Amino acid sequence: MAAKVNARTITDDELFFGHKACAGCGGSLAVRAALKVLGPRAICALPAGCMSAVGFNFPQLCFANNAIITPFAATAAVLSGIEAGLRAQGKKPEDCTVVGFAGDGGTADIGLQALSGAIDRNDDILYICYDNEAYMNTGIQKSSLTPFGAKTTTTPAGKNAHGCLTQKKSLFEIVAAHGIPYAATASIGYLPDFMGKVQKAASIRGAKYLHVIAPCPTGWGCGVDETVEIAKEVVDCGLWYLAEYEGPQVSGVPGGKFTLNRDPKEFTSVAAYLRRQGRFRALSDEEVASVEQGRDEKWRYLRSL
Amino acid sequence: MIEVLWHGRGGQGAFTAARLLGAAASIADGSYALAFPSFGPERRGAPMRAFTKVSDAPIGDRSAIDCADYVIYLDDTLLDAAGEAWARELKPGGRVLVNSVKAYADERIVAIDANGLSTEVLGRAIPNTVFLGVLSVLCESVSEEHVVEAIRQYMPAKLHAKNELIVAEARQRVLARVAQGGREAAVAEAKEGAASAQGSEGPEGSEEPEAFGTPGAPDTPGAPNTSGIPANVSRETSRAAGEGGQAGVSAPEAHDVVRACEHIPVLRSRFAVPPSLDPAEYARTTCYPAGHLVAKNAGWRNERPVINAEACTGCLQCYLYCPDGTIYKTASAAARDEDSRNAHGAFAPVAVDYDFCKGCGVCVRACRFGAIRMVPESEANA
Repeated sequence: MAAKVNARTITDDELFFGHKACAGCGGSLAVRAALKVLGPRAICALPAGCMSAVGFNFPQLCFANNAIITPFAATAAVLSGIEAGLRAQGKKPEDCTVVGFAGDGGTADIGLQALSGAIDRNDDILYICYDNEAYMNTGIQKSSLTPFGAKTTTTPAGKNAHGCLTQKKSLFEIVAAHGIPYAATASIGYLPDFMGKVQKAASIRGAKYLHVIAPCPTGWGCGVDETVEIAKEVVDCGLWYLAEYEGPQVSGVPGGKFTLNRDPKEFTSVAAYLRRQGRFRALSDEEVASVEQGRDEKWRYLRSL
Repeated sequence: MIEVLWHGRGGQGAFTAARLLGAAASIADGSYALAFPSFGPERRGAPMRAFTKVSDAPIGDRSAIDCADYVIYLDDTLLDAAGEAWARELKPGGRVLVNSVKAYADERIVAIDANGLSTEVLGRAIPNTVFLGVLSVLCESVSEEHVVEAIRQYMPAKLHAKNELIVAEARQRVLARVAQGGREAAVAEAKEGAASAQGSEGPEGSEEPEAFGTPGAPDTPGAPNTSGIPANVSRETSRAAGEGGQAGVSAPEAHDVVRACEHIPVLRSRFAVPPSLDPAEYARTTCYPAGHLVAKNAGWRNERPVINAEACTGCLQCYLYCPDGTIYKTASAAARDEDSRNAHGAFAPVAVDYDFCKGCGVCVRACRFGAIRMVPESEANA
């Protein structure tokens, strides 16, 4: 494997540039960083979602790579098709990663069966879910990755309910349960960690899945300059975790190997994280305490793996 | 047909105003209006357009307006960014109405401090309904009564009183300027066109007029982006374009609403020339150069990050975390930013591509050395 990428060694080329995302967009940072690692020969597929909407903005095309838009549910299926097509034509060089960028809704709700199918076939693809915790492209509707208490247009905060009533789906564990060669979680607040995982994923043959938290200032109700800080804070306060799963075929461990990349001795305040975002404004102190309790339970489980 | 083209930023209420204007203009019997917005997948803060068409006959042409009787800029940075392109959007005798405290040398541009007025009434700068009041004075086919009626029909009840107040106040200010301007114009004429310095003293106060080139630039097919589109945007070419974009300053010149009022377009659809059906001509209206990076993201910021070369250590955190990739290493880039020179003449290790920076400020927070600060665009351009 090549030397680990960092700000100094990474290419100066910008492969996702001139896009029309909101100022301070976390998702666009995830795509930009991933493509800088994967290089110009990567081939991208994007379903409906912010990154396809802001990246292919006639007359402006913002991907320097080959990139296409897929049907909403079909990201992973299209990735499989691209990869098979390249192989069939004998046009797939070693450094060509077939990579998908789908949002949380396009991954955890709408595209889940296609993703599961591609992992089952173990096609040589990299699937990156940029998770901004709601359907932001259509104006902030709840997805199954929206966390408890977050206000969206379909989970409004009112007298009886203070936002989203369900818990965030554990998609990383669902993917890992397939026995996928490589899966990892990341955050754009810890970009070197994310870029390292993209690089590692690209070096592994077979299906790979990355789940990167990418805050959305518009949907989360925070300042446009706070994106990266909040993405860091969600990890520091323990409501997100940086982990890797290496399947049996990669790790040699029966059932696969789980690694917690960051295990803070002490978490920062959950309340502080929630209270700085407009979407959690309606939460009561008891509800904030229950979120904190849920975090502690989750970490007891993570540390037992 | 009277056509009104609204330029605003996502969130400024351009479409709301376009719709209210259409509603107001269509209340009278036998009058028709059409209003629609045009925005792509661009997001909050991005430049967008809205259109109002008013006619005394049903309106069949539902396409966007390229050339209008009134072109309204809810944000003066959009007019500044348009360079000379604004003139191509005007029909002969048409007027630009801009939300600004600046004075403009070209008499076709009328500045109105809509932010100031709406802040007085609403406590927030929401400039859109100010222009309804202005248009109700300038445009024959829109009456104050109908504008108020439209506000009552289309806005939530709690917004009625304040917006009606804004409309009334805007009317008063424009009418006051008409009266004042009329007197001054008469005086000026009596002095056989002797330059009258007081003439430029609008009620909003005035500064140095903005530099605008003369109209009549070569005709190009109507491109969606009004900032001149270079064939291909590289860091070098875009920088050169940015520097050469402003034309020479013309002498300050008295201009007032009266002159605008002399040319009020009225309903004239009966005399309108039918649109050309020549296929070649039609094709030019729909064909754009497209591809990887054919346009800049001009006009997204109110503030820009400025790098202090003395304090910058070259840690590259800003470069790493910029969501738009607009911070680049100067050591490896062919073009260097003159602004980033430090006192010893050395360059900062990084510079900002202002043609694409959206001014989010992530870099300021990523910098642990306090080497980047946000500067208001108005200050940076001064």
